[in-house]
Amino acid sequence: MKAVVGFLTLLMVFAFSISANADGKDKIKSYFSKTAIKVNTTELASEKREILNESFQNMLNVIEKVQNSGLINNEDQAGIDHFKAALQEKQDELNGTNGFERVPDAQLNAFSNYMVQDMEQASITISLLALVVIAILLVVFVF
Amino acid sequence: MRMLNPHNHLVWSTRYAILFVSIGYAMLTVFLSSCSADLTVHREKRLAKLSSFDTKYSIIFLIHGDNNYLYHDSSGNSYRANEEALAAARRVAEENSQAEVFIFHQKPASNFLFFFPIKDGEYFYYRNGMLIENDSYWRNQEQANIDFEIDLYDQLRLINHSNLIRMFVYLGHEIPEIDGVGYDLSYPDRTFTVDNIAHGLKNFTSDSAKFDLLILSTCYGGTPYTIGKLGAFTNTIIASPENLHLSYFDLSALERLDMTLMDGDVPAFAIKVAQQSFDKLTSDLQTEVSVAVYDIKSVQKYLNSVNNEYNNKLIRLKDKTQSSLAAMERCDCADVPAYQRSTISEGVEVFYRAARFGRLKNKESHSGWECWK
Repeated sequence: MKAVVGFLTLLMVFAFSISANADGKDKIKSYFSKTAIKVNTTELASEKREILNESFQNMLNVIEKVQNSGLINNEDQAGIDHFKAALQEKQDELNGTNGFERVPDAQLNAFSNYMVQDMEQASITISLLALVVIAILLVVFVF
Repeated sequence: MRMLNPHNHLVWSTRYAILFVSIGYAMLTVFLSSCSADLTVHREKRLAKLSSFDTKYSIIFLIHGDNNYLYHDSSGNSYRANEEALAAARRVAEENSQAEVFIFHQKPASNFLFFFPIKDGEYFYYRNGMLIENDSYWRNQEQANIDFEIDLYDQLRLINHSNLIRMFVYLGHEIPEIDGVGYDLSYPDRTFTVDNIAHGLKNFTSDSAKFDLLILSTCYGGTPYTIGKLGAFTNTIIASPENLHLSYFDLSALERLDMTLMDGDVPAFAIKVAQQSFDKLTSDLQTEVSVAVYDIKSVQKYLNSVNNEYNNKLIRLKDKTQSSLAAMERCDCADVPAYQRSTISEGVEVFYRAARFGRLKNKESHSGWECWK
């Protein structure tokens, strides 16, 4: 009986892992889309900027937690570093740091859409485990 | 009260479990097989109503949907790129009264009631606007090839292809030039590369002339290696040298080929499709938009001159993992001295607009060729 239960459990884990991978990436994309909606429906430029900054910072914090969790292998570190660098660059541009021109107030809506589209077309090469952890942390700490 | 022997209890529980699963599986198999109609008879009946003399165009759509294809519009509505692509391909098939259209949709693997695998591919075959056949199929789970699609194409296609204008449209993520592990989410160990798609194109064109037009609706399609490899099987290619958003190229120009391709001038038609795609993408996106049309004969000089350099670069990258490759920077070949040639713009028509934000927002033009830095 144990063997049957073990076999069935393995099958369920396999079935779950495929959807978890897709869901992890979906979660990240939806996170940025929700940020853009908030920005687009906010009147004041200072508030728009704050929403964007907070959104980048939350995601960067989650990634930091994942990197420090000890669950991530070297291969994942490269993928996560790449993802993190892309986010950091966008935050730098938003605030006009690290050689970027600051995004003008009038262009913050367009910038938030750019952020969504750029993250959607970026290749997120992070393993299943890392994606699941990011998705869980996003739910726990951000949503 | 009768004492139960724990060992007997275990044996009987196991037997019941196996019996239950077996009966369930048998019932499901009977149920599923009873659903499949005799496709050949239906196909013959439908084809009998049509004359092959009315068919002038042949289009194959290969839609990759086995990975993450979610995207959002600016209102937050979410879409699956592969499903949108399927709807667009079906519109093309239904609106063309003079075309045979094959649509292959490669879907993620899934299970019915967790344990019973469901077929992970679906095909549609239209002729002259009429749906002749639609069924599910098993994709090859071990080898990264499109053999099933090719077999089906050989069974159904019109016998005489010599007078048809032929097109192949691929919609999906960037097709890797090397490595290719993880292209399919359902089969993470399987690899899929440009070489695999080239092998597929070779078989699709085995007994007739090249394709007239290949539309590569993916990121980073316009590289010397990809265009060189796939150019062996087509006269013209439309591709994006840079990132291409999942909303893909606009295929509406393919919907009424009797009007948009009335004169049979495929290169001019390709420019029209590229222009239309560019206009649509630039109106919707803040990210970089690049759509290029490659006249395969005319780009040979440039390809031959950079072939060695580019292939050597790929050899040097061969040991890199997918994550490291994704992190590596790519750029316009015109910005890398090793790929700068006077022939770089020969045979390429480029529609380009830089991203509205980011480091390259002031870039004014693109050569149409993308290289590894």
